[in-house]
Amino acid sequence: MHRWFEQTPAGRPGIISSRIRLARNLQEYSFPAKLDEKESGEMVHRLEFGLRDIGNFAEKNFEFSLLNEMEELDRAALKERRVLNSAALLKKNPSGILLSKEEDMGIVLNCDDHIRIQLLGAGLCLDELWDKADKIDDCINERFPYAFDDRFGYLTSFPTNVGTGLRASVVVHLPMLSQGRKFSSLIGDMSRFGASVRGVYGDVEENFGSLYEISNLKTLGQTEREIIDTVTKAAIQLTNQEMQVRKLSLQRRRIEREDEVYKSFGVLKYARRLTFRDAMIFLSQLMAALSDGLVLAKNEVSVYRLMLGIQPAVLQKISDRPLSKEDLDIARAEFIRKELPELK
Amino acid sequence: MLCERCKIREANIQYTEVVSGVKKEHHFCAQCAKEMDFGVYAAIFDGEFPIGKLLSGLLGIEDDNQGPDKLHQIACPTCGTTYDAFVRDSRFGCSDCYSVFGPLMEDSIKQLQGSLLHTGKSPVNQNIESLSESAAKTRGKSIKDETSEEEKELSELDSRLKEALRFEDYETAAVCRDRIKEIRKGNETNA
Ligand SMILES: [Zn+2]
Ligand SMILES: [Zn+2]
Repeated sequence: MHRWFEQTPAGRPGIISSRIRLARNLQEYSFPAKLDEKESGEMVHRLEFGLRDIGNFAEKNFEFSLLNEMEELDRAALKERRVLNSAALLKKNPSGILLSKEEDMGIVLNCDDHIRIQLLGAGLCLDELWDKADKIDDCINERFPYAFDDRFGYLTSFPTNVGTGLRASVVVHLPMLSQGRKFSSLIGDMSRFGASVRGVYGDVEENFGSLYEISNLKTLGQTEREIIDTVTKAAIQLTNQEMQVRKLSLQRRRIEREDEVYKSFGVLKYARRLTFRDAMIFLSQLMAALSDGLVLAKNEVSVYRLMLGIQPAVLQKISDRPLSKEDLDIARAEFIRKELPELK
Repeated sequence: MLCERCKIREANIQYTEVVSGVKKEHHFCAQCAKEMDFGVYAAIFDGEFPIGKLLSGLLGIEDDNQGPDKLHQIACPTCGTTYDAFVRDSRFGCSDCYSVFGPLMEDSIKQLQGSLLHTGKSPVNQNIESLSESAAKTRGKSIKDETSEEEKELSELDSRLKEALRFEDYETAAVCRDRIKEIRKGNETNA
């Protein structure tokens, strides 16, 4: 069974993945932070039982797990694959997840909110994801009345989610645009437009891999379609600009870019130790070059899958023993050597 | 603690991020946090903070202006969340907190969200259908001419809704929106 990110991306260059998340709470319980262990356990159990056949409606096979009983490493790996957020990692009281085998659909129970429905897909597909999320949402709501207010909409733990409870996001790859001096003002424009842009990996000083997540800033006062439209437009706008800069770079400094990507490829192919930062930067260059047709792979590949594969917990999981930081760099290089596509 | 960026102002925003599986804590002043890209919003997106000062900043508690004493005594009767805890965690404890703290922070929510009125989808089958709603449905079913009447009313309501929103008259807006929903719902069932 292929997980969603293992498929080769098609469609718009530069758009990696889309995600829809809906936050919902039940009418009859306080929000998760105010539930004790017993209440949490009871609610999670009721939800698990009540949603047992939800897979039939979504045409998916869901598997239920209690997050609080899951190995820490498994939870961390799910976070790296963007199924869980950090709140779910820290949760002590009973909490759970219904997750599809492909990991493209999940229903997280009793973390930040009672219910968080989340759907992931490759490429730009917010509309399709929303349609599915909307259906699952109605299905759940037929069994469990939601906390809803006529003015504030769906009530959530955080005021930043109230209203639609919808966070629509798209991950885009902007290696050249983000280097430009105008990038921060561009991000400012986007936020006035209602979309936030933030780096996916890296620290305050530096972004590793040039992946950026675009999401809606506001959840109240707009319809779900309007929100999706805003994020979709922002994603298209930014990737279009990226592609323009890239096209120009191919005209003006093709040899530099060829040199750069072949050097990066060489390191990825032969290195015996790779830090996360370096690996992400080199993979990002390869991703751009493949998308620009500057280099051609012998077989179709998803560079994003490699990026997800080199995260610490994911690497840790495929190893049979605990890895030190140095071991991790060795395992990372090994993984990349094995998975890297051959070039034509 | 001083802000790690400007090293001048007091750091009152704590930002936790996980990089390569290593948790890093950052301390910034509100101004620097604002200038940097992760912004107030980014940090709260996935509950990845605590960036507790968000609301205290928005509510202007630090200015210690009028009557914070009174506010300190407020607590939600259902879940026990106090005003202080609410401001500190930027988090509601239960749905009743919205009626307790909601009125106090309408301005903040407006600032954060740009609006105070939900216009997206609503729960299914949750509210018992009102009489007028079901009456509208049956009427719509039997008389076809009403469609054009309804369309006229819809466009009228739509412009009234927009007008009301512009003047921040949320009461009127809510009424218009409900009526629009009512009509649309009737139409959908007919279709
Ligand atoms: Zn500062
Ligand atoms: Zn409460």
